[in-house]
Amino acid sequence: MHKLLLAFVFLLSGCAQHNNNRLADDLQFETPESILSALQETKPDDRDIAQYYLNLGYLQLLSGQFPASIESLLIAKKQMQSLAATSVSENIGAGTVNETLRSYSGYPLDRVMVHNMLALSYLFNRDIDGARVEMLQADVAMKKLADKDSLSGQLVSTHLLSGIIYELLDERSDAFISYQLAENILNQRKIALPEGLTLGLLRMSLKMGNDQAYDRYSKSYPNLVKKMKGKEQVFVLYFDGVVSNKIQASLTVPSFNGQQLIRIAMPTYPERLPRSLHAKISDGEQLVSSDVAENINVIAREDLDKEYPSILLLTTTRAIAKYQVVQETKKKDQLLGTLLNFATLLSEVADLRSWNMLPATIQFAYLETNADDIVVSTPKTVQTDVDLSLGHQHVILVTNLSDKVWHYQQ
Amino acid sequence: MKIHTSLLLVIMSSVMLAACSTSVERLDAQQQVDLSGAWNDTDSQLVAQEMIEDSLSRAWISKFVSSEGKDPAVIVGRIKNLSHEHINTNTFVANMERELINSGEVQFVASAANRQEIRDERADQDLNASEATRKEAGQEYGADFMMQGQINTIVDVDGTTQVRFYQVNLELISLKDNRKVWIGEKKIKKLISNSKIRP
Repeated sequence: MHKLLLAFVFLLSGCAQHNNNRLADDLQFETPESILSALQETKPDDRDIAQYYLNLGYLQLLSGQFPASIESLLIAKKQMQSLAATSVSENIGAGTVNETLRSYSGYPLDRVMVHNMLALSYLFNRDIDGARVEMLQADVAMKKLADKDSLSGQLVSTHLLSGIIYELLDERSDAFISYQLAENILNQRKIALPEGLTLGLLRMSLKMGNDQAYDRYSKSYPNLVKKMKGKEQVFVLYFDGVVSNKIQASLTVPSFNGQQLIRIAMPTYPERLPRSLHAKISDGEQLVSSDVAENINVIAREDLDKEYPSILLLTTTRAIAKYQVVQETKKKDQLLGTLLNFATLLSEVADLRSWNMLPATIQFAYLETNADDIVVSTPKTVQTDVDLSLGHQHVILVTNLSDKVWHYQQ
Repeated sequence: MKIHTSLLLVIMSSVMLAACSTSVERLDAQQQVDLSGAWNDTDSQLVAQEMIEDSLSRAWISKFVSSEGKDPAVIVGRIKNLSHEHINTNTFVANMERELINSGEVQFVASAANRQEIRDERADQDLNASEATRKEAGQEYGADFMMQGQINTIVDVDGTTQVRFYQVNLELISLKDNRKVWIGEKKIKKLISNSKIRP
């Protein structure tokens, strides 16, 4: 009986999430391909399926396995959609043992970001129509999550990517609206617009013949007007670093009568945000640097902050419930009660699950050039030449986690 | 007491196993089944059937027959998916091709991808088949009209309820002079409510 109790506690103590967090930490120092292999060797718990496939799909994208990435991210997306409803049994488990008994259904960030990663996978798999579908779905997902008091689930990077995809499809009005939506969110967040986004607003307002908007933007950014001169359009997305893992903050105290120990454990994020590094793109004449469009570290913290009151309430309620169960058991069997107290301490772990292999920031740069090739350099990798001779519009994805450069051209 | 506990465990295990087992039921291909509310085989069949019926009942066909003295030859071109869903337009195109061929009122020409495979085979025959059975190049039947179209959606969402509005537009264009001889439109509206609670 006692051995059974210990085995039960071991199962509930959240070993899988620690393994996953370790892999996410390792991603800073090892290639996406090696972390992908390590992740594929693990077997996810049924409750962690969405998190597993989100990370798997993202690593497959960074490794250039686009069809596999699409498959994995679609599984994650479907899983998150099916888990959107509240589960009675999982809430009971979370209220009595710990939060990891709840299936991972994704934060607002995950539910929108999955469309971004899918769109990029479709795009580099040369299926721009599939990418467009994902952007339309992201728009619906953001409308579902819209809240007049917060920007939860409203991603600049999604609107920016939508704008790029619409521009590639020559859907000018939709591209302009998407760039404007990205601008609105950045203004609400009081963040300076990336130069590439401002150029997009200028370019689309000009192409659409929206003189009023073009005058406004050209007066606000007179220096950028002269940058719209090349025949080749280059959109560069740079994924910098890895988003922070959650950490556990726990407290164990003796009860007022000293008869048992009470423990509470809450998830939190490290206070310090890592410094962003930037990619550089040069055509020999111009040198542009990527600007932060989305700080995922900040958004992940906002998502957790929003859930904090309910996590705190559930943690406190659970501590009271565990205290009462131990108290009742001790009245019948002192030894079993003590063991149960030990089990309640061990099983009290914070839910540290998140899409923890995402980049820390998503950055954007735009270049118009007449050159046949450009040089892209990221902080940790050598410079890479990119040939522009086979198309006039180019989308390039780079990361400082790998020396690979993904290039879509048309 | 121990027997009772074991019995209870066996019953609970059986119930859990039964709940987890896979069940398969064969359905009639024409049976309408809606699971997620997304575009499905029923929508594809319904739209293809109704739109081809509409196109074949219009004046362009009789005008063509009387002026040219033959049935029109039609080819289905690209049906563009501009919707919110990853719709496999190939099944929709296949449904339309079937409706067109089975109508008996038009000739039907193979698509560009099909034609290339056939041309490859013809080229192979040119080298390897006997003279009596060899099929010559340059004998293809040219289409008179191409059918093109697009599938659009508008999604309105509020919490767990969604209204999905699908609009399928098809048009038949004369290959000789780019005239549009027929435009068809089919609309489907779905109200989808998702549960707020799961087991």
